[in-house]
Formats: sequence, structure tokens, C-alpha cells
Amino acid sequence: MLSLLVIGIGYAQDENKIEKRDPGHYNINRFKQLYEEFSTPNVFRTASGAPGPQYYQQQADYKMDIELDDKNAKIYGYETITYTNNSPDALEYLWVQLDQNVRSKDSKTPLIEGSGAIPADMVGSFVGQYMGVPFDGGFRIEEVKGVKGENLPYTINQTMMRVEMAKNLDPGDKFTFSIKWWYNIPEHTIDRARSGYETFEDGNRGYVIAQFFPRMAVYSDVEGWQNSQFWGRDEFALPFGDYEVNITVPADHILDGTGVLLNRKEIFSKEMMLRYERAKKSYDKPVVIVTQEEAEEASKSFSTEKKTWKFKAENVRDYGFASSRRYIWDMMAVTIGGKDVMAVSVYPPEGNPLWEDYSTRVVASTLKSYSRMTFDYPYHKAISVHAKNQGMEYPMICWNYGRPDKEGNYSERTKYGMMSVIIHEVGHNFFPMIINSDERQWTWMDEGLNTFVQYVAEQDFGEWNPDAIAPNKAYPSRTGPPKNIVDYMAGDQNSLAPIMTKGLNTYNFGANAYSKPATGLNILRQTIMGRDLFDYAFRTYGQRWMFKHPTPEDFFRTMEDASAVDLDWFWREWFYTTDYVDIGVKDVKKFYVTSKMNKEIREMITARGIKESDLPPLVYLVEENSEDFEESMRTSTLADVTTLQEYIMDNVSAEDRLKLKNPKYFYEITFEKLGGIPMPIIAEFTYSDGTTERVTYPPQIWRKNDLMVTKVIASDKEIKKIEVDPDEETADIDVTNNSWPKRKKLGEFDTFKENVKGQ
Amino acid sequence: MKIFRVLLIALVFSIVTASTAHKFYVSTTKIEYVEQQQSVQIISKIFIDDLEEVLRKRYDESIVLDSKDESEQDFVKRYLLQKLQITINGIPATLEYIGKEYEIDVIKVYFEINDIIELNTIEIENMVLFDLFMEQQNIIHLKTGESRRSLVLNKENPKGMLNFD
Repeated sequence: MLSLLVIGIGYAQDENKIEKRDPGHYNINRFKQLYEEFSTPNVFRTASGAPGPQYYQQQADYKMDIELDDKNAKIYGYETITYTNNSPDALEYLWVQLDQNVRSKDSKTPLIEGSGAIPADMVGSFVGQYMGVPFDGGFRIEEVKGVKGENLPYTINQTMMRVEMAKNLDPGDKFTFSIKWWYNIPEHTIDRARSGYETFEDGNRGYVIAQFFPRMAVYSDVEGWQNSQFWGRDEFALPFGDYEVNITVPADHILDGTGVLLNRKEIFSKEMMLRYERAKKSYDKPVVIVTQEEAEEASKSFSTEKKTWKFKAENVRDYGFASSRRYIWDMMAVTIGGKDVMAVSVYPPEGNPLWEDYSTRVVASTLKSYSRMTFDYPYHKAISVHAKNQGMEYPMICWNYGRPDKEGNYSERTKYGMMSVIIHEVGHNFFPMIINSDERQWTWMDEGLNTFVQYVAEQDFGEWNPDAIAPNKAYPSRTGPPKNIVDYMAGDQNSLAPIMTKGLNTYNFGANAYSKPATGLNILRQTIMGRDLFDYAFRTYGQRWMFKHPTPEDFFRTMEDASAVDLDWFWREWFYTTDYVDIGVKDVKKFYVTSKMNKEIREMITARGIKESDLPPLVYLVEENSEDFEESMRTSTLADVTTLQEYIMDNVSAEDRLKLKNPKYFYEITFEKLGGIPMPIIAEFTYSDGTTERVTYPPQIWRKNDLMVTKVIASDKEIKKIEVDPDEETADIDVTNNSWPKRKKLGEFDTFKENVKGQ
Repeated sequence: MKIFRVLLIALVFSIVTASTAHKFYVSTTKIEYVEQQQSVQIISKIFIDDLEEVLRKRYDESIVLDSKDESEQDFVKRYLLQKLQITINGIPATLEYIGKEYEIDVIKVYFEINDIIELNTIEIENMVLFDLFMEQQNIIHLKTGESRRSLVLNKENPKGMLNFD
């Protein structure tokens, strides 16, 4: 009978409706699956997010002879590439990347940046902008030859070079060719390049050399040839391969780079060998291989002799090295998955006292944290090189900033800036050096995932090295806490781009590709999935795609597949749109229970011609201060509601009656959703006795009404306060609407002003 | 003299974008009009390293921010008051410096504009760090009783006007 009444109400409303009908619509539900955004799973990539049965990837093996001319800051190379076509496609040509060309005189990079005329300019700035001579950078390609020494036709289009072969490269076949090249090395401290040299005060240079050789582009099932130019921002897409690299530098240089050093005995002095053997057994602190005194002594001369350092690296996607006579070198061992890995630091005396204290320890700690979150670090070493203002990553080696002043003093900021960048860049060994995503297209896949794990690793480092972070109790991380992304997500929509945007085309690169994806993953881990489900799925992604090329979908699918948490709504909102979170408490109504009929029902039965005596026994809810409200209701209990007591006496056994709850207060709470992104409603109720209770309504609570949802709460204690998202864990952009009663919280500004006054 | 060299360096070589995988050049300024107080409240958040670098280049190589040394305050105030210009209802406003505080790697600087009975238009010019970094972006979030608006200011577009009529 009651259900009939409800239907009746609905019918009455329909009768009053005007004739005009709304048009129909597609499925616009925010919880709709991503079938339209995702590509159809196939033999290469499965619906579960794993590599498919016919997944393939190309292989590019390199043999290189490199010579560094320290006097003239030039680098020369002769490389032989053996390219293996593992794809099912016959290839008509090969594409080689010439990233150095971004710095050539005719680079198009400056041409895609807009510029404005300003009414007055500093003379220096004017000269720079309109009269300056550009740096003469970029590859000089001297020859491209086949195995028989024949010239191969090639075409250079900006930063890409197409090499033509006499015949198609069939599936399963290999093609070997050689390139001879050289280029002028830029001074990275003024050019702000990812690699180059820094000139120290004594005139010596520190070289951090990377993307220095023509590198094979990726050919894959999703892109064909990766043919997006290098404009200077979006980084690299590179196939795996084995490298044999001989690097010739002045004999007094200290050098380290990607791969195993093959001729250590030839290069190292006896003393260095002894120290190295000790370092391999030192698990708690680094052992110095080249001391500061030795580095400073070497800096006083300039050797005209040469030495060749020989390296071999297997299964890496790139190669980098650092070289200078002004380098200090230290190492220690760290055990990862039962194997010893060397944590290594290379730095000029300018980096001390900071670098000798922390760098190598941070490297070791980072490898442990990332290995826990993904897979055991598979390489034999990880090097952190100190280069001014740099933060850049390559397999097994990275460049990092963080330098004390000339007197050797440094601030907390410099220290944590240095530690954080080392954690970040060493972390890049996992994303994208091993989980080899396409950086050129999807910056967030390496930067976002890496920044997320960076936060975990920073917290671990603080926990494992309390002495290093004292007097802080926890490591002061910058990215991670959701409220830190709010300023960005609350920004003007015209200056926001979805995460699923190529880095070059975003407006705020850092927030877009680093912080927002990292924060999203933090929200999934802490609030939506929970650590166990998240960590298992995240680790599954790492294990599935180590030494392979994943796409964004492979990540999204794996996270769901391994956790049984449907996250399509989260991926859509957080990654594919610029929407934001704003959930609030709109209204709270208090109700009392009575057996006396209220106005709403009275009016309805009159309209329908139903007699009161025809109704089954009912309980009525009366809103506080409404027409039917009587002051006596405030003190009445459920025991006073006759119809209810009759029902209980007739239907519930005496024993069970004792177990019944006996709520005294009834509330109808209206939550509103002003932002697009659904989030769980984390509601904290504060009762009159001061106790609190937290209830989390899953995000699916918004599935039928995207704007508003009501909930009835029956409680035996009076509710004094309701607050949603009390710990600010959902990136809610406006917390002023999060409480009932409306809390007149002193804003950030007034709070500060009060404090200033108080002083 | 120093400043010329710095600008030159910044401009000649700014063609290549941020190399570091970490560094991005952004400041955020929140501006709120509080009608009851007839006041415009301003909080500017800037990376400490960036501000320190520009102050060193402009004024004194020995400046260290967050050092509890009082003299730094004068430079912060002086620089920001030069670079942050606000015009309300067509009249250039006087920014009253309230104070500053540090939060990990960010400095927050507080200003207030008093006696604003109504807000019809506001023009904001924020050239903070444009003298050091080509790709510096200064984001402005403006909040009044009814609305929220944002501006992204850069060297090409250093000012923006919002109309509330």
C-alpha cells in the first residue's frame, strides 16, 4: 500500500508537467566505461593491460667509439647500429633521431614560441633578442654507410633522419649501418640544455654528456615510427638494445657512464682498485674512490695524454656519461633482491660538503623504495652526478643539482632540493628507462608515475635516515598531498589541459605532467583503493611492462584488472578532462518521528480520496519547525510512537526487542557536488558529546544524480557538526562549503594578519 | 650593471626550454575581495630559490632568504612592490605590505589594499621573475563574493583586466 502511494505521487507530478519534452541523449553517465576512449584490445596488447601473445619490440644494438675534445668542447663519434626488425611489418626505411639538432642554428624550436613587442626594453635584453648570434650546435653528419662501406641515402628533417636501405627490412631481419658525426658541446649552465658542460672557476670543465649520438626511433604497434619531432621539451622514445662504448678522454679525467666498465684494471690506479674493493663491501656508508684532494690536485694541470674507458651495457634504452678531471667519486653497496648493486656519486669539490654526506646514501635508499614498489632494480649500478642546475636522467646515470655556497654553507632548501632531485632522477631508472613508455607523447607516464613513487621514496628515506632529516620528523615532500594541487586545478579553464595531452601543448607543464598525475595516484592509493589493492596493481604494472613499451591504456587497464576496482570514472575525469573536485554540505534537516499524520500525507490522501482508516499503520517524519512540528516532539522517543510500538510488540520477540537500536535523532543531509569529478563523500559527524564518527560513501553515490544526493542518518546522539573531507584528501578546490553549520573559518589571509599583529 | 648581463643571458639562451626534469617557473597569487572589510587581500606564493636568485642578481649577491635576517624583508618588499601593480576601478592602488612566511620551498608574501567600497574592475600586472626567466608564468586567482576568475600572466602578456560591472 505504501508503495502504491509513492507511485501515486509520481503520477500526480506527471499530470502537472507541461507538454514540451527534453531531447534524448547518449550515455553521459560519469561512470560509463571507457570503451570509446580506449582502443580495441588485440594480439599485441590485451584487455587486461598486459603484453599480448604477439607483442613485439624492436632492438637497436650500438657499437660506438667516442672522443671528447676537452680543449675545444667538441665530441666526435663513430657508431655502428644493428637494428633488428621484430615486427610483423616489412620496413622500407629507418628513422634515426638527431636530438642535438634542436640546438642547430636553423632549429625551428624558437619559431614556435610566440613573442610580444614591449614598449621599452633593457638594452641588454634587446641585444640578446634581436642582435645575438645563436650557438653553433647540432649534429654534423659526416657519413652514413652500410656494412660494405657503401653510402646510404639519408634525409634530415629537423631532429629526425630517414635512412634508406637497398631493400625492405623484412620481419626478423637485421640491418647494420654506421654513422660518423661530431658536434659542438653547449655550455649547459647558460644554454640550459639537458646535457653539455659547466665551466668551473678554475677553468676546468665538467661534462655531462647525453642524447649525444644519433639514436634509433621507436617503431611500434601503436605509432608505427615515432615521428614526432624533438622541440626541446617532450623527451625521448627509444628502443632497448646492447651497447659497447669506448670513450676516449684526457688521461686525467674521471669518467663514469651507463654499463659495466670492462677495463677497470687498466684505468684504475692500484689505490683506486683497493678502495673499489672496499666499497663493494660497504653497505652503510660510501667509500671514496677519488678523494677531494686528488680531484683538486688533478685540476691543476691539463693532460694531453688520452685514456679510453670501455663499457658494455645490456638491455638499456640509451647511453650517458660524465667526465672531468675535477670529479670526486664515491660508492657503496646496497642489496636489492639478494643481489648487490653499487650506489655511486660523482661530483666536483663545489658540491661539498653536501654531496659527500648524502648523495650516495640517497641513491641506495631510492633503489630500495622503487624496487619495493615495482621490481628489483636489474642493473648493477646507479650513479648520481652533480651538475649545476641539472636534473636529468639516463640509464644507470643521472645529473642532479644542489650546491652549497662558496663558503660551503647550504640551506635546508638546498639540501632537500638536492635529495629530492636525486630521488627523482634515480627513480627515472624505473620510469621510463626500464618501464619504457613513450616520453615524446606522454610525459605523465614517466614523470607522473615517477613523481608519485618519489613521494613514497622520500618518506622512506626520512624513516630510514632520521639523522639525515633531523630536526624534521618526516621528509618535507613538495608533491603528494592532494591539497597542494588545488591551486592548479581551480585555475582558469582556458589555461588548463587534460593530463592526456602532449607535454609541448600544455600550459603549465609541471603541474600537468608531474604533480597532477602523481596526486591522482596518491588519492587512489590513500583514499579510493587503499594501499594493499593499489600497491599490488601498481607492482603488477611494473612487472608486466619492465623492459617493454607500455601505453597509457596498459597502465589504466592493469590497475583495474589487478585490483577489481572499476576506475574508468577516475581515469576519465582525472586524466582525460580538466574537471575538478568540489563537494559540499548543502543542507541539513532535522526530523522527528510521530504516529500523528503530517501535512504531506494528509494532503495527498485528500487529493486521492483515500480515507485515513484505509491506510496501514504508518510512522511519520516531521521536520523541525514545520507546520506539524510540536515542541513536545523534542523530548519524545520512539517508545512514544504508538504505531511503531504496536508493530514491535506484535512482530519482534521479547529477546530481539532488547537488541533493537533506538535512534533518537533523524537527519536528512543534502550533499552537493559543484565540481565534475565524483569522489567518495568522506563525512565526519561530530556529536553533542564531543565524539566523532566517519562514514565514507563510495563515489558511485553520484551515479544517478551528478549534482546532489541526500542521505538520512538515524542517530542516538545529536549531531552538532558535519564536515566532508576533513583531512583534505580529495583535492576539493573549495573547502568553505564543506561544513555544516557553515563554519566561519578565518581565511589564510586573516589568520596570517592576526599572527603578525600578535607579534 | 649586473642586471644587464643577467637579462642578456636569460634572453639569448632561452630558446631551449626547461632542461631539468624538475624545474618549472610558476608563481601563484591569490587575490580576494572581501566586501565586509572593504579590502583586497593578496597572497603571492613564489619558489624561494627563484626569488632568492633574482634578489641576488638585482641587489646583493649575499642575500639569503629564510635566514631570519631582517634585511631580506626590505628586498622582498621592494622587489614585489615594483613588480606587482594593481589598478582598481581605474585608479592605481596602494599595496600595503603585511608580511611574509616560508613554507618548505615557497615564500608567501601578504599585501592588502584598503578602502575598496566596491570592485568594478581590477587590472593586475605581475612581472615577478620575468627579469630572470623567459618562461616564467604568474598565475592569478581572483575571488570575489560571487565569482572566481583566473589569469595566466607571462612575459608576452604581463597584465590582465577583469571586469565585474
